[in-house]
Amino acid sequence: MPLPSRAPLALVVTPTQRGVSDAELAQAMAAGEEWAIGEAWQRFAPLVLTTAERALGSKSDAEDLAQEVFLRLFRKVHTLRDPASLRSFVYSVAVRTLRSELRYRRLKAWLTFRGPESLPESSHTSPDLEARDLLKRLYSLLDRLSPRDRVVFTLRRAESMTVGEISATMGISVSTVKRSLAHASARLSRWIAGDPALAELLDRGLERRPE
Amino acid sequence: MTDSDRSEARLAQWAELWRGSVKQPAAAELERGLGGLRLRLLADGARPGLARRMVPLAAALVVALGVALFFVLRAPTGSRSRAPLAVAHVTGGKILEAGYLAELGGKGMELSFNEGSRFSLTPGTRGRLRTVTAEGARLALDHGTAALRITPSHERRWSVEAGPFVVSVTGTDFTVHWDPTSEELGVKLRQGRVAVSGPIVGDELVLRPGQNLRVNLAKRETVISEEPADQPSESSPAEPAPSAAAVATPHGAPSGSATAPGAASAGPGMRRWREALASGQWDRILADVERDGVDASLRTLSSDELFALADAARYRRRPELARSALLAQRERFPNAARSLDAVFLLGRVEELRADGKQRALRRYDEYLERAPNGTYAAEALGRRMILVKELEGRESARRVAVEYLTRFPKGSYAEAAHTLERAP
Repeated sequence: MPLPSRAPLALVVTPTQRGVSDAELAQAMAAGEEWAIGEAWQRFAPLVLTTAERALGSKSDAEDLAQEVFLRLFRKVHTLRDPASLRSFVYSVAVRTLRSELRYRRLKAWLTFRGPESLPESSHTSPDLEARDLLKRLYSLLDRLSPRDRVVFTLRRAESMTVGEISATMGISVSTVKRSLAHASARLSRWIAGDPALAELLDRGLERRPE
Repeated sequence: MTDSDRSEARLAQWAELWRGSVKQPAAAELERGLGGLRLRLLADGARPGLARRMVPLAAALVVALGVALFFVLRAPTGSRSRAPLAVAHVTGGKILEAGYLAELGGKGMELSFNEGSRFSLTPGTRGRLRTVTAEGARLALDHGTAALRITPSHERRWSVEAGPFVVSVTGTDFTVHWDPTSEELGVKLRQGRVAVSGPIVGDELVLRPGQNLRVNLAKRETVISEEPADQPSESSPAEPAPSAAAVATPHGAPSGSATAPGAASAGPGMRRWREALASGQWDRILADVERDGVDASLRTLSSDELFALADAARYRRRPELARSALLAQRERFPNAARSLDAVFLLGRVEELRADGKQRALRRYDEYLERAPNGTYAAEALGRRMILVKELEGRESARRVAVEYLTRFPKGSYAEAAHTLERAP
């Protein structure tokens, strides 16, 4: 499985005190070594937390999701055939867990006749009130996408992953990724265009961008 | 610009904003998350994961979109097989989506659970009820003071996350204060037992009734002070900086409980050490011993001083010195009541040492043989179960788990024992 290698992911590669390789760490995790818990967390949690926060729009939800990701990781790490691919494996588990969470939320919202769980408060750090409001409104549009489309769109646009990387990480074909991406982009564009205030906010941002 | 170009430009603008909207997690957040993960791994198997949560949902979809399904969905997570725990009343505020606690009226907020437990938040306190499951609840305290009165039940584990710290309890009455600005944690225990884990305090610092803990991350300072247990608890949130007056060792063992000559000393040295323990200056105790010579100190220190030295060495991750102090305690005060405590603590110290698990196992066996109903019997058997699992495998550990559940069905290791017992 190819490594997600774009800038946002590379930023989270944390130097380790132990200096063990990913392969050694994977073996230690599978063997139930106590030190491997802290090492795996320190090494991969920033990656999982930032991706989850971007995808869900909430730091607290991202923290909960990260806990679930690592629980699954420790349960499944013994199935990893190539220990050196631990980083890809972690990312794959994270994306699958994220997708499960989004499915669960959608199903729960549908069955209880409630809207998708909205953000109680924005966790985003932008000091710009307008930008925070914009993000909040955009997350509400993301809530309307199917879980698969949302994850594909997030990985492509927010995490800058290639279509091939998304395909490998999610375990779906490249053509499915492309179709999902096109579908998500078309729907989001339509919704933005249908909301003049939102479109204006985005356009105003475009005008402020340096050429 | 065509419509298509315009749409793409808007999505690109969004993506740029999106990518820059999330910061890397701070070290304190990572520490807190790691603490939570360790707790959850310990109890793994008890709480259904996301995938397992999906199973009843999917099954219910296939069967019918009936009333039963709504019960399944509305039941708190993890409540499939037990009496569910639920928030029965909320006064002074409300619970928002995702468990955020919103205070209304500025007079503080109180949450009452259906089994009698109660969380009281002082005015201005911000927090979040992260999970409520059959196994207990998790409260995240962002800022302020929460007083918790937990109905004793060894079947449930409750925890409060405060910054990078995790305070875990079974049944107790205590107050937690967290100030993220000064990075100061305060825990005031009135009844029961709590364990605090996090930076400086290590994996598990156990507090006894009447003890107050204050940890200041910025100053790297830990203070344990003591006041009489079972104080009235009404509306007395923990002040973050309890005065360090009469200070007990972190064991909380009453001084004078040892019966051998010299066991209960209160000389100038011990008074100074109590102050050192109270202010978290464990290095001072270790420096005193090194200055006077370790061997000479081990021969001359009183029983209380040896326990204080063992504590300081344990907290400073010097298991060899902690072990020597506890061995000296055993040898010099063999008839003291606390000598049995030393046997159990030797087990804990052995666990800190490289390749010490077998020796730890022997210490726990010795403790259980000599004090089958002793203060630490449940914990010794629980630790024995964990070590047997690591050293001899699940099958052997399962036998210990059965014994544990027979003797301590509501003990703090019961969840782990049930998990072992049920494992294929």
